[in-house]
Amino acid sequence: MLELTINGGVHTLDLPVDRPLAYVLREDLGLTGTKIACGEGHCGACTVLLDGIPTLSCITLAHTVGEREVTTIEGLREHPLVDAFVRTDALQCGFCTPGQIVSASALVAANPSPTRDEVRHAMAGNLCRCGAYPKIEEAILTWRD
Amino acid sequence: MELRRPPDAQHAVAALGNGSLALAGGTDLVPLLRDGIVRADTLVHLADAVPRGIDGTRIGAGTTLAELEVDPQVPAALREACAQAASPQLRSMGTIGGNLRQATRCWYWRLRFPCWLHGGEVCHAKAGQHREHAIFGNERCASAHPSDPAAALLALGARVRTDRRELSVAELYRLPTDESRDVVVLAPDELVLELDVPLPDASVYLKAMDRKKWAFPLVGVAAARFGDRVAFGLAGVAPIPWAVDSADDLDRATPLPGTAYKVQIARALIARAFSAL
Ligand SMILES: Cc1cc2nc3c(=O)[nH]c(=O)nc-3n(C[C@H](O)[C@H](O)[C@H](O)COP(=O)(O)OP(=O)(O)OC[C@H]3O[C@@H](n4cnc5c(N)ncnc54)[C@H](O)[C@@H]3O)c2cc1C
Ligand code: SF4
Ligand code: FES
Ligand code: FES
Repeated sequence: MLELTINGGVHTLDLPVDRPLAYVLREDLGLTGTKIACGEGHCGACTVLLDGIPTLSCITLAHTVGEREVTTIEGLREHPLVDAFVRTDALQCGFCTPGQIVSASALVAANPSPTRDEVRHAMAGNLCRCGAYPKIEEAILTWRD
Repeated sequence: MELRRPPDAQHAVAALGNGSLALAGGTDLVPLLRDGIVRADTLVHLADAVPRGIDGTRIGAGTTLAELEVDPQVPAALREACAQAASPQLRSMGTIGGNLRQATRCWYWRLRFPCWLHGGEVCHAKAGQHREHAIFGNERCASAHPSDPAAALLALGARVRTDRRELSVAELYRLPTDESRDVVVLAPDELVLELDVPLPDASVYLKAMDRKKWAFPLVGVAAARFGDRVAFGLAGVAPIPWAVDSADDLDRATPLPGTAYKVQIARALIARAFSAL
């Protein structure tokens, strides 16, 4: 049996070794805020935090998570970034948005006033097919407003 | 499938081979397993088995690219190569040991065409799509080695310590042959434990890619100066990281019709890297 700490709660699961965390979150635990788009590490839609570090859950085997705490978008409901994304209209279809907010939350935790270049460097692994990048940047630059 | 997490390198080596594969960050291996390109009965998770961290010139193989990218002890070429590799999430997950052993990105190979590198007879890329492919060492397989850090380590003259020997990064790689279609000399159960990276007087890494961030190198050029000697390591130009002494070596390139443009890019980046030192 595997124990995972997710958004502060402990879950005990019986999982095959080859099961990636993203599928565990969505299908076994109903935490469907985490999205799966490419499923192979290219797009960032599945980004979650492991002990605060943005990690691609689609290529992370659940059995390798160990003691590290998982934070998904559901654990960031109260984060000011959520309002910032709404206020700046930083999405179109919204499919990439959970991953964007998860990555951005790690950036602003480490660096509350990032420059535009720092935002671009830290957010480069979150692709947006709708091309909402300028507003995503604005949301992150003004997250505390 | 089974997952083991051995407490040290010795136990990890004993658990490897015979259908067991080493798993570090999993960024390359997990997709390859899922796609059935590689198979394993047992995954040997290296988290406790391989050193992680940077101590002067020594770098544990379990150190992530994200850790290397920001550490002032690390020579600029390696820092810049790591910072321009992959994406932030992948750099936080991917280790330098795994990066050196990552598989080719050739789409024919990844889509499981029965090509020469997979043990078949022909290189499909040569007759087909090969814009991302090699300009050197491409007689058999025309794939282009995707590692940015490996090119930097090559220029820096880094050494690799495994569980059984020490060798240079230049010796770690070799072109695949009919007998062994692998690009490294390591045994299947051999673990990379540590790198020793000499400190140059100056070094730099320049990368041409299809977009400004977050893409594999079309051409990557690392340059390192030790006294009045400058060494170059190139990514994306051959099936393995490729050393050149100067831009003149590009006269000996053997580009495919679709990769001739890479010779010009390499020439320009070598000139820029040289003047940046
Ligand atoms: C979408 C994408 C884009 C990328 N872009 C780039 C890029 O632009 N530039 C670049 O350089 N890289 C790029 N990469 C590659 C990435 O950096 C590597 O996948 C990563 O560094 C591999 O490290 P890992 O710890 O995840 O290795 P794993 O996936 O765990 O392992 C990879 C291989 O190395 C072996 N291995 C791991 N550790 C050791 C060890 N200590 N000793 C011996 N063998 C070992 C494994 O058995 C496996 O065969 C990209 C990857 C992806 C998925
Ligand atoms: S370049 Fe190498 S990997 Fe790609 S099709 Fe040719 S032989 Fe296969
Ligand atoms: S779904 Fe994980 S990176 Fe695209
Ligand atoms: S809002 Fe549609 S993918 Fe980003």
